[in-house]
Amino acid sequence: MAFIEVRNLRKVYRLGNEKVYALKNIDLEISKGEVCCILGTSGSGKSTLLNMLAGLEKPTRGDIFINGTNIAKLNEKKLARFRQENTGFVFQSYNLIPQLTALENVGMPLMFKGVPKRIRNKRTLAMLKAVGLGERMKHRPSQMSGGQQQRVGIARAFVAKPNVIFADEPTGNLDTKTTEDVMSLMVEMCRKHNLTLILVTHDLEIAGYADRIVHIIDGEITSIEENTPVYIPEEKTTDNETKEREDNKE
Amino acid sequence: MKISDMLKMCLRNLWRRKGRTLLTVTGVVIGSCAVIVMISLGIGMNKALDGMLASMGDLTAINIYNFNYGGASDEEKTPLDDAAVEAMEAIENVTCVIPKLQVDSSMVTIAAGKNDRYKMSWADIYGVDFSLFDKMNYSAEQGEMPTEAMYKDAVVFGNEMAYQFRDTKKKGQNSYTWKQELPDGTFSKPFVEPVGETIMFYINNSKKTDDEGNFLYGGRGYEHKLTGTTILAMDPNWETPYSIFIDIDLAKDIINDYNRLNGVRNTKGIDYTQVKIIVNDLDNVAAVQEEIEAMGFTASSMAQIREEMQGYLGIIQLVLGGLAAISLLVAAISITNTMIMSIYERTKEIGIMKVLGCFIGNIRIVFLMEAGLIGLLGGIMGTLISYGISAVMNMLGSGVFASMMGIAVEDSRISIIPIWLVLLALVFATIIGLISGFYPANRAVKISALEAIRNE
Ligand SMILES: Nc1ncnc2c1ncn2[C@@H]1O[C@H](COP(=O)(O)OP(=O)(O)OP(=O)(O)O)[C@@H](O)[C@H]1O
Ligand SMILES: [Mg+2]
Repeated sequence: MAFIEVRNLRKVYRLGNEKVYALKNIDLEISKGEVCCILGTSGSGKSTLLNMLAGLEKPTRGDIFINGTNIAKLNEKKLARFRQENTGFVFQSYNLIPQLTALENVGMPLMFKGVPKRIRNKRTLAMLKAVGLGERMKHRPSQMSGGQQQRVGIARAFVAKPNVIFADEPTGNLDTKTTEDVMSLMVEMCRKHNLTLILVTHDLEIAGYADRIVHIIDGEITSIEENTPVYIPEEKTTDNETKEREDNKE
Repeated sequence: MKISDMLKMCLRNLWRRKGRTLLTVTGVVIGSCAVIVMISLGIGMNKALDGMLASMGDLTAINIYNFNYGGASDEEKTPLDDAAVEAMEAIENVTCVIPKLQVDSSMVTIAAGKNDRYKMSWADIYGVDFSLFDKMNYSAEQGEMPTEAMYKDAVVFGNEMAYQFRDTKKKGQNSYTWKQELPDGTFSKPFVEPVGETIMFYINNSKKTDDEGNFLYGGRGYEHKLTGTTILAMDPNWETPYSIFIDIDLAKDIINDYNRLNGVRNTKGIDYTQVKIIVNDLDNVAAVQEEIEAMGFTASSMAQIREEMQGYLGIIQLVLGGLAAISLLVAAISITNTMIMSIYERTKEIGIMKVLGCFIGNIRIVFLMEAGLIGLLGGIMGTLISYGISAVMNMLGSGVFASMMGIAVEDSRISIIPIWLVLLALVFATIIGLISGFYPANRAVKISALEAIRNE
């Protein structure tokens, strides 16, 4: 069984008497460590698919296996636990909490897991340094640029060592240069820790970072395209990074 | 999530909206102040009542009289005899049973002085068990309390009784004395200072009188010479000043002698005139009294009066407390309102928390904690302010209840806040907060994560 398997997935929204078929009949397999892009126009059902994969919404029909667990069948509490242990999120609008500092924002997933504050802060700070924001740990979102905020978002997605990262239009609000930085950073971090990255976009440029591109039109997968990623991080591991990885292991 | 993290999160949320938090807390402060002050007034009233009743008599005593109100004939009536006393002693929580036997004033002539010059015109004579005297809190003003060896020779005078001696050698006004305070603060002297005197008890012959209409006594063998005399200090129940006490067996002898001398037939034996029961605790008096009444006796106690008055006070307190509770209810509604507003503001935050894997149980706890903390904070501040209000009231209105009830009470505070009331107020305020937070917390939990984080 593949790391992620989607079987006969369907999502129907009811608006009064009208039915909206957001997803018609999706079958999809994604392997561990893959960077997979879901590409489609607006309203094609990309976000719906991603939300379903992340367990944020229940499918109307079908199964979603992630790491062997059928998340379509989990209750709310088990889903929360599943999210704590397996998933990280990067949002288009960052979704940071304005009152909290970068350090506190990044530490949130660990806090929900019940990691004691001392260990939490150590790991959070290491993660902030890894995304190049070590200096900004005391800053609030409003005191940072969009690109910096999204790096905080990325740090938050990776801090709890998930297996899958979900990113819905992660660069939708950023300019071209920053988009490149953010994409490289995300891909690099996924490659380094062998994480699966599921990326939703309507932007072909961004799809270029993926190993595979899933084309979706009107709630249906029309084709799956193998792709040679435009950016392959160098496979060198500095002493510093080795140390960091060990820090993160406890 | 760790409790410490949840607490920190909820404190930060309260702090973020300081002004609103403060206003909501103020509502609870007013509510808990009202409740505490009202209850403290109730406690003050009860204290004043107890003080008043205590000054009127011993609260743990029950008096049983050998009256016959119901019109039952002598045969139907339960006799107040040794068997009854024993039955009373067997009742739970009874500390002691003190029977009294009255010797009718007409049966004896009490005399003192040379040639019986001084005679008592009138006296309530009671036979008692002297060994129970200290249980009744009686103490001597002059002389010593009778000791066991001399019970039969002892005679104990009530505070005023010495003044009842009349000088038979004088006529009219001059043959009487009475107790009065002299300008120098001392009291007037009676004809006889009984302590140290020999007191004679002569049994009267009801068929023979002297020229003045006084009974003549029965002659040799019909007199008792009592040598150990004591004068009692005033007792707490004000029962003794006009009484004379002798040993209960002596009293029986006197009555038997009288009956023999005057040919009175007595087939039933001698019943006690009055029985006094001391109960171990104020709270048990009512139950004991009930049991005694069930035995067929007429009983009365201060506790019974206390209970009735407490009933009235209870109604007053209920009304006051109810008014105060309304202000707490308003405070509770305002907590709920604040929390709902807070949830609207934090919808997105809650959504993010859920997406990042926060258990909904944790979210619920954070919100309940916030509401509970508002309650607790209000309770604490309310308690402090209540102490202030209470102090001011006590300063301005001290002794109001006491003067209302027409007596002097040593504890003249009108508002009393005991520590249990403080604890109760804090717990209650916190619970009010938690209850008020219940609905908002459930709403917070139900917020759809997806909707909350959807791009605006
Ligand atoms: N909660 C909902 N209720 C009803 N219809 C919905 C709901 N969410 C999505 N849809 C519908 O499902 C379809 C797919 O929506 P989705 O958000 O997945 O599109 P998308 O591919 O992410 O578009 P975009 O690129 O604009 O974000 C749309 O037609 C949308 O109107
Ligand atoms: Mg979308």
